[in-house]
Amino acid sequence: MARTLLGASIFGATLLAIMVRPYRIPEAVAAALGAVAMLATGIVPIADGARVLGRQLNVYGFFLGLMTISAIADQAGIFTALAGGAGRWAKGSSRRLLVATFAIGTVITAFLSNDATALILTPAVFALVTRLRLPVLPYMFACTFIADTASFLLPVSNPINILILDGLGGGLETFLRFLLLPALLCIGLNLGAFLFLFRADLRQGYQLADLPSTEPPHIPFFRATLTVLAITAVAFVLATSLEAPVAIVALGGAGLLLVAAVVYGQLRWERLRREISWSLFVFITGMFLVVRGVENLGLTREFGSGLVALAGQSPLRASLLTAIGSALGANLINNVPMALVMVSALRSIGTTSSSHEGLIYAAMYGCDLGPNLTTVGSLATMLWLLILRRKGLEVSSVQYFKLGIALVPVMLLLGSVLLWLRW
Amino acid sequence: MKILCAIGIRGGSQLVQRVLEVTGPAHELHLLHVIDVGPRHTLEHLLHGPRHRSPAPPPPLGQPPPPGRHPPPPPEHERRISEAEESSAAAALEEARLEAERAGFRCHLHSASGRPEQLVVATAEQLGCQLIVIRASEGGEGTPRLGPASVGHTARFVLDHAPCDVLLVRAQ
Repeated sequence: MARTLLGASIFGATLLAIMVRPYRIPEAVAAALGAVAMLATGIVPIADGARVLGRQLNVYGFFLGLMTISAIADQAGIFTALAGGAGRWAKGSSRRLLVATFAIGTVITAFLSNDATALILTPAVFALVTRLRLPVLPYMFACTFIADTASFLLPVSNPINILILDGLGGGLETFLRFLLLPALLCIGLNLGAFLFLFRADLRQGYQLADLPSTEPPHIPFFRATLTVLAITAVAFVLATSLEAPVAIVALGGAGLLLVAAVVYGQLRWERLRREISWSLFVFITGMFLVVRGVENLGLTREFGSGLVALAGQSPLRASLLTAIGSALGANLINNVPMALVMVSALRSIGTTSSSHEGLIYAAMYGCDLGPNLTTVGSLATMLWLLILRRKGLEVSSVQYFKLGIALVPVMLLLGSVLLWLRW
Repeated sequence: MKILCAIGIRGGSQLVQRVLEVTGPAHELHLLHVIDVGPRHTLEHLLHGPRHRSPAPPPPLGQPPPPGRHPPPPPEHERRISEAEESSAAAALEEARLEAERAGFRCHLHSASGRPEQLVVATAEQLGCQLIVIRASEGGEGTPRLGPASVGHTARFVLDHAPCDVLLVRAQ
């Protein structure tokens, strides 16, 4: 009993630290401290912890491979070229440019996962739109929104999907069966809503003459990169279809790109090292151990049973509850611990029966969409700041929140219904 | 009379045209364009605020990120963004300057980076202008022509804080 309380407190304190970030400590530090506490108190025995981490090599490899691929593709000029291509295709129409931005964002998210879109495409589009003397907000928000909205098109579109699939099993076929329709619905909704909400900003056009030259710095390297990306994309589809570890494809693709970069003399080590988020690995390691702690104490099993009980006999209610709960949790705290808790809870209630299989995808859906609710980091931070009445809450954060609040609940509702219909 | 024209990202030439119509010739014309840092801050915020799986300390809201707290955006993108901002600023000023020149006016060009409303007022003060000319709003054809929504926050701030007269130019 005391141990359970202790474990729950460590878990709670870690999540609180991630949400509120006292003394501005990075999330990675909060997670690491939580993990150390779990290990020190013996709630997670060292051997157990090592075993848990060892089982997650696929996730680590996937993250590392993907970040490297995105960084090198960026260095080759892929993202800038895509943005420029959109500018030319849209032929001076702001609306068409927004549609093109969504399209590019969707494709990049689908195969290179959402961080590539959110972190690399966004500045590329920003630069383009600034040069065209158009209002930047619609296009910036388009990139960051589509990064999450399109992130359940394929298993590889969001590392959270891989995290969940690794924990609960599942291949491309099942994934698409459940999530393809919701994904297409959400993307359509997102695009339509933006075209409507930003209609005033989209009225003015731009001059094609203002388009910058987006020639890649080194054409053969650019071509080689495109080839490797295409191969990697196909390999991802194959790997997920065969339920093979995607880390192999990600690291393989990264390796090929590194070789190409060295061969063409285009490798910038400093830049590559800087663009890979090393603290992320510390963060997820910490979270693996912290959630393992509450799992060992049986708390996630309780949570899973609670979910089943609340859902009662209604699969629709189960679907809604899981999706919405995951989304709120993912936004309130962070989508990594939320996903891990859901995996543990769902595993404890057994996922062999078909009614529970849908819950896997409902959880994935919620965790993927959740971050779109706010951009200030999380709902918690925003509420906290509003409570403290910190002046200087950027207008754009409030705008983003309004967008998120308008769109995400609708998406969650409709998507949950679609998921339920697939069971 | 020293006149300060607040040149927006678009519509600079219409503004200058209007000034000349209203005030007539023989004045000292200063054209000011301010690169708005707001969108750039929003971008930094979107990228480096806690993107849920890329933990990095977010900058305190409303302020630029303290140096060394988190990795800066890739220099390549920084450079492209700065270039884009400067090139569009130059284009905006050029449009306005050409209009002035067509009417046979000489004008002084100024470019700055920051919060537009504050810099317009500060520059007017600095130069000792007797008149500030500013468009009611940067909005496109969708913006209402009358009512509170027809005057943007920049124009409103300038109206409130200008050290001199203000000419508010409405869309034609």
